[in-house]
Amino acid sequence: MNKLRVIDRKKETDISTYPPDLIRNFSIIAHIDHGKSTLADRLLELTGVISKTGKNKQVLDKLKVERERGITVKAQSASMFYEYNGQKYLMNLIDTPGHVDFSYEVSRSLAACQGTILLVDAAQGIQAQTVANFYLAFGEGLAVVPMLNKVDLPTAEPERAAQQIESTFEIDASKILHMSAKTGLGVDAVLPSVIENMPPPSGSIDQPFKALLFDTWYDKYVGVVCLMAIKDGSIRKGDRIVSNHSKQKYEVTEVGIMHPEPSPTTSLQVGQVGYITCNMKSVSEAHVGDTFYRDKHPVEALPGFVPAKSMVFAGVFPIDADEFARLDESIQKLTLNDSSVSVHKETSAALGQGWRLGFLGTLHMDVFRQRLEEEYDASILITAPTVPYQIKYRDGTTRFIRTPADFPDVHTMQDNVESTMEPFVLATMIFPERYLGQMLELCTLHRGEIQNHVYIDEARVLLKCRLPMAEIVSDFFDKLKSKSQGFASFDYEEAGYEASDLVKMEVLLNNEAVDALASVMHRSSSVVAGRDMAKRLREVIRRQLFDIIIQTAANGKVVARETVKQLRKNVTAKCYGGDITRKMKLLNKQKEGKKRMKKFGKVELPQEAFLTVMTKSE
Amino acid sequence: MKVPFSLYVHWPYCTFLCRFCAFSKARVPAKGVEHERITSALLKELRTSLAPHKDKVLQSIYFGGGTPSLAQPRNIAQIIEAANSLVPLASDAEITLESNPTSAEVGKMRDFKQAGVTRYSIGIQTLNDRTLARMGRLHTGAEGLAAVDRARALFPGKVSFDMIFGFEGQTLDQWQKELETVLKHADNHMSVYQLTVEPGTPLFRDRNAQRVVLPSGDLSAQMYESAVEMCTAKGFRHYEVSNYAVPGSESMHNVGYWQGRQWVGIGPSAHSRFIDPSSNQRISSMRLPDIQRWAQHCEKFGHGTAKSTVISDADAKQEAVVFGLRMLDGITDRRFASVSGGQSLKDYLHMDRVQQYVDDGYLLWNSTDAQLAPTERGLEVIDSILIDIVP
Repeated sequence: MNKLRVIDRKKETDISTYPPDLIRNFSIIAHIDHGKSTLADRLLELTGVISKTGKNKQVLDKLKVERERGITVKAQSASMFYEYNGQKYLMNLIDTPGHVDFSYEVSRSLAACQGTILLVDAAQGIQAQTVANFYLAFGEGLAVVPMLNKVDLPTAEPERAAQQIESTFEIDASKILHMSAKTGLGVDAVLPSVIENMPPPSGSIDQPFKALLFDTWYDKYVGVVCLMAIKDGSIRKGDRIVSNHSKQKYEVTEVGIMHPEPSPTTSLQVGQVGYITCNMKSVSEAHVGDTFYRDKHPVEALPGFVPAKSMVFAGVFPIDADEFARLDESIQKLTLNDSSVSVHKETSAALGQGWRLGFLGTLHMDVFRQRLEEEYDASILITAPTVPYQIKYRDGTTRFIRTPADFPDVHTMQDNVESTMEPFVLATMIFPERYLGQMLELCTLHRGEIQNHVYIDEARVLLKCRLPMAEIVSDFFDKLKSKSQGFASFDYEEAGYEASDLVKMEVLLNNEAVDALASVMHRSSSVVAGRDMAKRLREVIRRQLFDIIIQTAANGKVVARETVKQLRKNVTAKCYGGDITRKMKLLNKQKEGKKRMKKFGKVELPQEAFLTVMTKSE
Repeated sequence: MKVPFSLYVHWPYCTFLCRFCAFSKARVPAKGVEHERITSALLKELRTSLAPHKDKVLQSIYFGGGTPSLAQPRNIAQIIEAANSLVPLASDAEITLESNPTSAEVGKMRDFKQAGVTRYSIGIQTLNDRTLARMGRLHTGAEGLAAVDRARALFPGKVSFDMIFGFEGQTLDQWQKELETVLKHADNHMSVYQLTVEPGTPLFRDRNAQRVVLPSGDLSAQMYESAVEMCTAKGFRHYEVSNYAVPGSESMHNVGYWQGRQWVGIGPSAHSRFIDPSSNQRISSMRLPDIQRWAQHCEKFGHGTAKSTVISDADAKQEAVVFGLRMLDGITDRRFASVSGGQSLKDYLHMDRVQQYVDDGYLLWNSTDAQLAPTERGLEVIDSILIDIVP
């Protein structure tokens, strides 16, 4: 059946005929661009969930921002019906994000599965995230079924990639499926392999209802929608369920499967994965990892999750203070569907009321910023992404510093501070051997401590390095990619705090420190960074009617100085009758541009100025 | 008292095309200009457009283009006559014709005077022959000066000329020397422009391709300041950003633009700005730029209007301030009232910022006369100031 199925919300499908035996809950894990989304599309097409036209390209990537970047931010699930060996199976594909920033989302969705397809690009072979995700899945006790994709590419080397998989993960190379999700070659064998090689969900229909909440989103019509994996028993409309975490009770208004849009069913039973709506008002009531049970029939809770820890912080401020309320609403709406963003209100002497937001990584932050600007038409200033530093005081107390402006000044440092500490990460990089020199240099340049490097096949190196997190939060990844011509892959995990010689870098404009431009850095890079920052600020700050003196100071000591000379002449030479309309258009456009500038004293700063202090030029 | 009105006539042909010119024009066709056809179209458009304004008085007519001095003096006479018959000319009406300094055109001066032209404006641009050639102009600096001298004999006290500074390779010293020479020949009025690179011009393409490098912003500022200094020293008043006049000899037509006088423009690409007597709305309109199409429309419909929009009160107020402040006399509440419906400048502008500029020496605010004006220093950076003080 290749026609697009019309979803009739009033008609409920009966899926009670699918006992756990005939169910498979699986996900696809892969490094970015190895074809996860394309494969997902193919499977949905194959099972008739979506039609074969090009419009359905990568259906599971719902958000516009995701489509633009070719990444999945939000995990979704889709249920498919598949006939195999005379039996009808219910196949639940739980989609997982592909980026290291979202490893939290990956682990949440894995807990709903019993197996996972490990998809590897036959031309690129194993990459850092392949490794990271494999261990995540393996750690959850999932059956990992490796498959090779893109075998149609002229650069594909399937045998070599299969060998890599065998040597890295100790999986028999001969059992690995070869396919091309793009052309469809070999895709027919995927679902049979899933059925044969992955276990069905365990659990009993006779046991009291127990479900794992592994994802939620907010729908403006029905409220919070919860994605659940039913571990025992069953649930239907009208049932009363209880959250194990909050002990709050809810009445179920609808249950169903994602097909790929929400399709109501008469019930959801043990082993099945689907959505439940229960008049839950706010996403904050839904705790991912929570266990739900039927009212008056409590069960033993499932092991929960470790909540995501923010790794990268950025200050977000409205350019126009009057826009604070509207921006507040927009941020609330955006975080409604992304509970991994930490939100703290903050007031800056320079920028007024705003927020310090915590993200899982720079990509996470960038996607968020883009959505805020595009979907909510927000005019915002983003200040330097920072990592949380730790200050140990002489009196034994410790304090986390999340805003550079809060970093102690040189006097406090001398009198009260025992040590300053910064967070470290353990990074894994995989790249072709010929880039080894460049990669080692990149790490040392960024104050890295090489732990080891091994050859994972005759041409590829895996490098482990301990790096200050501050060094990787802005453009490290970009540099990694450019120095390896795109071949290097990167992943990292937290590795604790370590004492470090840190200084506070301040920017002064006409002798006044601009808090919003402050940053914290290691002493070794302060002079060079200070000089660079001053130069780049001079380039982005536009001339005004007076001289602007830019100074950068590390711990109070000036390291660089630049001047933006006053504007001497700014007047249109010719302005006669025919020029009036054009002149007024230009003037109003310039006025609009001015609105996006932030004034500090008399000095106007464009958005670029704040971005300048965030990145280092080479 | 009758409402003053102006007429602009666009004569679109040129014998040579200047590389910096952004006006709508065309080279004289091989078989020559269709003088009668063009004039006939102009007259048709003139009759259609001036008819609603019979109750006004015609304060000025300006022949621009293109090169209006390439027109036949008798056609110029016809247009002036036709205009006068519809909207009577004021007794002191100013009728200006723009001209290039080539000998052919200089030779027609007397005939233009007879046709009714009262004021002559000559495009000298620069005395540097090499620059003139590079810019595509087919005359010399000497011819430019000679043209001014001849015009002064025929139109005493009513001669103006255009100068441009900021050409490639020009030094401050060269510019000052040019100014000194030109001032020796000046009559009562001169326009001094900084060379502006307009999109769509050959100069624009040259600059983008880096075939030409223009003087820095700071050097241009020095040249501008020299012009102000030297012209003022010679008795000219710097009454507008790029215009200098012996007091009393300001360009009536152009002052009209800056002070919000109504006018109608005829000819291809000409702009108009007037209050439609039937609807009382402020209208801004433009004629078709293509000469052939414009002529066809005039023949068929009586005019060649391409588009027409209503100017809102908010826009009109903005314009009044933006253009008023290009003049050293600035703008008064009295003049502002005609577009603001009585709102005072004090209530309209961001006065706190105005005060800051007054304190810093860029603006002058006379509260008794409710007059806001720029200082010379303010005029030089007026575009920055306007963005700030106008809502």
